[in-house]
Amino acid sequence: MRHTWIVAVMIALTPLASSAQGDPERGKVIAYTCTGCHGIPFYKNVYPTYSVPKLGGQNQEYLVSALKAYREGTRRHATMQAQAATLSDQDILDVSAYFVSIGENKS
Amino acid sequence: MNRLAPSLFIALTIIISSLSSLAHAAGGDHRRGLEKSQVCQSCHGRTGNESLQPSYPKLAGQHEDYLVHALKSYRDGSRQNAVMAGFAENLGDQDIADLAAWYSRQEGLQDLDVE
Repeated sequence: MRHTWIVAVMIALTPLASSAQGDPERGKVIAYTCTGCHGIPFYKNVYPTYSVPKLGGQNQEYLVSALKAYREGTRRHATMQAQAATLSDQDILDVSAYFVSIGENKS
Repeated sequence: MNRLAPSLFIALTIIISSLSSLAHAAGGDHRRGLEKSQVCQSCHGRTGNESLQPSYPKLAGQHEDYLVHALKSYRDGSRQNAVMAGFAENLGDQDIADLAAWYSRQEGLQDLDVE
């Protein structure tokens, strides 16, 4: 009986474990909007002027915390706050998993 | 035309020298950056690829001017992070330029591909 419970809990937790990693395939679809700025080499933010940061191969936890900070407004950038406001927690996991996967493919 | 030539020459000289001084002010020295990065290395690693925790960003290969912007934002408080604020407040503009020069010249982060 106890084993049945353990197995049941493990099965129940399995989708949680996989969703915590994010789905890079789904993330790639979400990332289409991001590439309008982050996908163009040497594309500049203006006022102030600086290059839009590279994201490929970045650490996933950092990307997740950055997007959530934009969504909550604790990190400020008009365009990024507007973009992040449209993303669910799952969207953020998936899109960051996609950015991580770019570093894995190229290195 | 010949009478104009000396003043044209002077004007060009002024323009070129002011441009080169601008370029110099914007550029950091990556070797000085490595020397100054001892504190940074304990969390970001020597090249910026070796994050102590996954919640810390990789810096290697990041755009130089973005790194400058990030450090200045931490310094003036417009970007809030308790740990980074403490480090950035001790950095001068030249320190920031040098550190950005070092980390941006390392192999690491990639651009996204547009297909």
